[in-house]
Amino acid sequence: MDSECLALLPAVCLVLADPKQSPPDDTSLEKLLDWFKELHSQSNGQVLLQHQPCLLEFISSVCTSKTTDHAILAFTLKLTGLLAATTQGFHLLEEGGLLVSVFEREAWCVCDHWEDASVRSGWLQGLLNMLKHQQALDFIRGNGLIKVILQLQNDRSLFVACLANQLLVHILNFLTSSNMTNGSDAVGSSELSLRPDWVSVSSEIMNAVVEALSSEDHPQVLQGLRLLSLVLSQCGEPIRSTLWKDVLVPLEVLVNRGSESLMKTLITVLQAAVRTPLLSQSEYKVEVLLEAMLGDGNRKEHFQCAALILKLEKCPEVLKRKAMNIILLPLQCVSTQPQAEKEIIVVLKEQLSQKASCISLLMQSLSSLAELAHTKYLFEDISIHSVTSSVVLLLRMCSGHCPSSLLHINAFTHLIGCCKVQRCGLDTLGALSVYEENVDLRKDIFGVLLDCLQSPDSHATVMKKTFQAIKRWIVECLPFPDLLQFISHDLFPVLEKRLCDLRWEVRDSTLEFITQLTAALNGYSGFTEALHNSGMVSVLLSSLADAEGYVRASAVAAVGEAVTVSFHIVNNNNLLEEALVQMMSVLSQDTEGFPRRAVVKVFTSWLRGSHPITALDSSLSSVLSLGGNDFDWEVKMHTLELAEMLMEKTLTCCPYAIQNFGSSEETHFTQALSRLKAYGLFDLLLNSLFDCDRPVCEKACGLLVKLRTLTAETADLNHSAFVLNVCGNRWENEVQRRCLKKQPAKASVCVTNLVSKSDEETDCDLHCSRNISLYKILQILDLDDMQRMLTLSSDHVVNSPRSLMEDILSAAQQSEENIVDCY
Amino acid sequence: MKLYCLSGHPTLPCNVLKFKSTTIMLDCGLDTTAALYFLPLPLVHSPRLSKLPGWVSKDGAINLEKELKECSGRVFVDSQPEFCLPEKELLDLSTIDVILISNYHCMMALPYITEHTGFTGTVYATEPTLQIGRLLMEELVTFMERVPKAHAATCWKNKEIQRLLPAPLKDAVDVWSLRKCYSMQEVNSALSKVQLVGYSQKVELFGAVQVTPLSSGYSLGSSNWIIQSHYEKVSYVSGSSLLTTHPQPMEQSSLKNSDVLILTGLTQIPTANPDGMLGEFCSNLAMTIRAGGNVLVPCYSSGVIYDLLECLYQFMDSANLGNTPFYFISPVANSSLEFSQIFAEWLCQNKQSKVYLPEPPFPHAELIQTNKLKHYPSIHGDFSSEFRQPCVVFTGHPSLRFGDVVHFMELWGKSSLNTIIFTEPDFSYLDALAPYQPLAMKCVYCPIDTRLNFHQVSKLLKDIQPLHVVCPEPYTQPPPSQPHRSDLMLELQPPPMAYRRCSVLGLPFRRRYERIHLLPELAKSLVPSEIKAGVSVATVSAVLQSKDNKHVLQPVPKPAPVPPSKKRKRVMEEAPEVLNPKPLLSGAVPLEPFLAMLYKNGIREVKVEETADGHILHLQAEDVLIQLEEDGTHIICDNNEPLRTALRDLVLHFLQKL
Repeated sequence: MDSECLALLPAVCLVLADPKQSPPDDTSLEKLLDWFKELHSQSNGQVLLQHQPCLLEFISSVCTSKTTDHAILAFTLKLTGLLAATTQGFHLLEEGGLLVSVFEREAWCVCDHWEDASVRSGWLQGLLNMLKHQQALDFIRGNGLIKVILQLQNDRSLFVACLANQLLVHILNFLTSSNMTNGSDAVGSSELSLRPDWVSVSSEIMNAVVEALSSEDHPQVLQGLRLLSLVLSQCGEPIRSTLWKDVLVPLEVLVNRGSESLMKTLITVLQAAVRTPLLSQSEYKVEVLLEAMLGDGNRKEHFQCAALILKLEKCPEVLKRKAMNIILLPLQCVSTQPQAEKEIIVVLKEQLSQKASCISLLMQSLSSLAELAHTKYLFEDISIHSVTSSVVLLLRMCSGHCPSSLLHINAFTHLIGCCKVQRCGLDTLGALSVYEENVDLRKDIFGVLLDCLQSPDSHATVMKKTFQAIKRWIVECLPFPDLLQFISHDLFPVLEKRLCDLRWEVRDSTLEFITQLTAALNGYSGFTEALHNSGMVSVLLSSLADAEGYVRASAVAAVGEAVTVSFHIVNNNNLLEEALVQMMSVLSQDTEGFPRRAVVKVFTSWLRGSHPITALDSSLSSVLSLGGNDFDWEVKMHTLELAEMLMEKTLTCCPYAIQNFGSSEETHFTQALSRLKAYGLFDLLLNSLFDCDRPVCEKACGLLVKLRTLTAETADLNHSAFVLNVCGNRWENEVQRRCLKKQPAKASVCVTNLVSKSDEETDCDLHCSRNISLYKILQILDLDDMQRMLTLSSDHVVNSPRSLMEDILSAAQQSEENIVDCY
Repeated sequence: MKLYCLSGHPTLPCNVLKFKSTTIMLDCGLDTTAALYFLPLPLVHSPRLSKLPGWVSKDGAINLEKELKECSGRVFVDSQPEFCLPEKELLDLSTIDVILISNYHCMMALPYITEHTGFTGTVYATEPTLQIGRLLMEELVTFMERVPKAHAATCWKNKEIQRLLPAPLKDAVDVWSLRKCYSMQEVNSALSKVQLVGYSQKVELFGAVQVTPLSSGYSLGSSNWIIQSHYEKVSYVSGSSLLTTHPQPMEQSSLKNSDVLILTGLTQIPTANPDGMLGEFCSNLAMTIRAGGNVLVPCYSSGVIYDLLECLYQFMDSANLGNTPFYFISPVANSSLEFSQIFAEWLCQNKQSKVYLPEPPFPHAELIQTNKLKHYPSIHGDFSSEFRQPCVVFTGHPSLRFGDVVHFMELWGKSSLNTIIFTEPDFSYLDALAPYQPLAMKCVYCPIDTRLNFHQVSKLLKDIQPLHVVCPEPYTQPPPSQPHRSDLMLELQPPPMAYRRCSVLGLPFRRRYERIHLLPELAKSLVPSEIKAGVSVATVSAVLQSKDNKHVLQPVPKPAPVPPSKKRKRVMEEAPEVLNPKPLLSGAVPLEPFLAMLYKNGIREVKVEETADGHILHLQAEDVLIQLEEDGTHIICDNNEPLRTALRDLVLHFLQKL
């Protein structure tokens, strides 16, 4: 493939260098560059440049042309960098003076090019591509390019500025990696002993950072901080500690100034610093800075900072605790807890009396709490009980219940019916279920969750979050006997009402919740009994006729799960029978795809279960045939998954029996195949193999390959004994065609020689016989080749570099033709 | 300008506005909650209700066995239910010039006001308000007259006896003003005084004020009113809604720049969001039907029922209720359903556009066509033979004291499969259910009140910026059951003026102008002179004629030629001779030029003295003082008339004459 492409390269170069041609679009150029990159990684640049002198010509013509397009120039800059990434390539380019004329913008014929952001970005990218060896760094230093890069750090284009920062970090890294091969990572363990000319490079960059941080210009400070955090996270010693020492003074000034707009970036810097060994050295003051950022919680930014500090992975415990105390303040302040009778800070009070800041503070408080719970953080200063009670109280306030003694009447009125706080609070309450101590509060917790479910004004999304929280708490409270009481007396009646809700989203999430709950409590006979005795199952069955497709799909899943957990129960047959009748009618008659897909998925999950259901036998063949002939390709896919499960269960069950009783192996396998045939599984697979949807074919092909392997592995199987009837099937024509195509010679031979009692006989009889052995069919179909073709994406032909180049060339030709046409 | 408050009920208002020379009654709502003191009127003989024991005080001193019955642990009056009327003693109702009706729920006391009080004025209402109001009155009268009671209970109202009765009877207020329902004849007579108006139509009242109804979005034909003169504007906002239901949306912009806004008819259940309640209604209904029970919806025969039916129309199929019959039972059920379809111009835009398709605007037409909704005038007749269970029954009255609903309560109350869903917010559902206890049927309270809530009204007021707001007292404090909900009250600057029953409020007005018209011929005779850029003045001599509250300036009639007769008496009757008035002067006398002028006229010795208001010139030779002040000039000179006249002319030289 590459050789074909290389042959096209000179022509492509000519087209690209031709200023009369309009340049190809950016994507094509990027793809071309990708191809060069790939080529470069495979071989080395020298080979390419030596064998393709057209590239040197292209670069030189672009540089000397006065009418070069911005896009082509940017492309050339990147390409040159790529080609110069090897020392050989670098020398070849330097010899011809090309490097200077490409990267020295004074050497450009048109100075205006620099005004275009894509050119500046290409220039930086080119240098970044090139910077793989010392000569490259010498080139950059020698030509004073560092200064230009530092200027670009404050470029008006964010992409350029970001790239400049990356390049600077790369330079700093390169300085250390190429010189300090033995340098340890410990802070200050080695002094910066670089080549003197390189020292100037590093100090130039570092001075620029210090200058930026001391600047009064906000964007410049921001860029300086960004570079600093990049250096901290990407550079090693001694660069890291040297720079940190230099910036510490201006950084302290910035932190103490407490500007809101710099807050996030400052935290990112400190976050990067925390991850380095700088943290453990007190003279680097990382912790001091963090603490200064946190302040005493009397400013709005401090809460934001506390939330960010809590997200730090490696955070000193003292600091974390302080941040936690600050972040919990709004929550405690709103929900008056006797334990939390702290001095309420004036600013916080004021913030809480304004709706917008009240909501954002509480959400920050709640989400940080949820994050702490996710890591199962151990609260020491404050009991988890009181925190959880605060969240419960807050949720109560959202539903309009007033706590007995109210500290913040304003905050309360902001909270009534506030979905945002409700959702966040419910998430947090769910997360708090990880603390075992909280199970004592389960009555309150279930109470407030039930309130949310019962409230007619609860938004559908609030309802969904409530379900998630309830599920988490139910799973936590499983050992308690009062749980079943809650489920059957309190929860089920509400669920029943929600299943009649006007909003389909609510009906849908209720059904999803029931499905999840049933699955989670599988094995708890008390729950299964409650499910049956409360009449919930019949409600689920009636939901199968819902007007909304999504709801029907969820109802199918819920009924499926209810049947699964009821297998242990005697007299389960009625439920299964009714479920089967309704599900088959959904599969055959439902106008929407989702419910039909759900039905097939339920059958698969039933089969997967540890207790095979014999009652399914009668329905399986209908499911396979209905599912296989569905209009929806996803239904077909799910049907094939069902077929896979069926194969797995039928062909590979009782492995010990097969090993121990070799003689019965064949019988067993043939019997299993006969069962599969009776289900119509082979028809399904072979029909699907020639389906119009590629994923369906691919899946069917995979299954047939599996089947072929299994058939081949079963040593003494009489391959001709198990036959399939070809006639009347959709796949008949396809199999016959392939057979004739594959063995025309053999067929003619066997016809003339009238050979009998051989394999050939079957082959030649293919086109006239009704029954062919499965083994033979699997042989005839070139499954491996089919599978290879199917795994290739549908655009594999048009996506190759060759087609890309051809496109570029033909576009150029066409444009010429067009010009001719126009005149 | 005064406001007389005849009803303290915030949603059933009855206020009288004395504005300029007119007396305008704003709504006349009838508070029917007193019906809850009475025993239900069963349509079919009820053994349970007929065997109730009479009430005798514990010591046996008071025996009201005939009047009061004990039922489910409470005492009820065994008589035809009575209602609390608007206050009649606060002012003479015969002086009322007009009554403005804002919606059909707020006119139920009309016959009590227009009949037997000497009322001779006009009632203004929109057509749907009149027609549906008539239906509601007719229904009320039928409910009462169908079950006549031989005796009216009055002894219990005796003050001495009442205070010894058990609650809630002993706490009932103004029991002597309770009246039994009016007759159909009184309804017809009252409604014959109604004059129909359309939205934005301007109606002149005696030339003094103009009243205009505006769409209020609450019910078919519901309106708010603007009452304005040339310089004052009073807005009357009664039951209004911003929700998208069936009526035309609320017109808000015309309410801007009001001097006073009288605000009544906010939602009675501010904590219940109508959408949520509608959802609750549907899911409870579906749950009951799925379980094989019946649903009873006590409701008015017009209003929210249209929205309920529309919502159910969409919900039925998704909830598998396709085959469940809906029954609407009311003496006016048929008219209500049909009337709603013909008032197309009063409906919201998308319902209006259906009429041009042509399709009935409300989907209940389709429900009736497909036999899913059936309506009957009463439980007697066809209904009893066609009735099929489980079903949903919509019927009145929401108080559960009269109407067909009483029968269904007796019929279905004993089964826990059935559900009663309260949707009307006017009555406490617990009090309504009191005479039916113990009750096995499930009870769901989903009050649907689409009227403005406090949040919406504060936004509205911020928008329309009235100078003063007048509202019922309950709106100025949080609901008594939720004292912490400061969001459920009106917080305004300046604070609203609150009223209660029998309050008389003086309304604050800023401007005190009247508009006067100038006849063209008079205008032609004016000679304006510009006194400063853009301001010209002229003197007018004219005759002011005031008639029908309109004021016109007419030219002075020319003196009639002296009649031949010289009788003294005739001379006295003649119009007084009009003398040409002296010209008015304006301007100021500048000191320096005036001194120069004096000098030119030979007055040389002038001593100028500066005072607080101007200057005093002392003409020493002539011994004359001239005081030049901002608003006057005085020449003080003794016995020298020629000199004074000369000096006066010199002063006039500097002034403008009009």
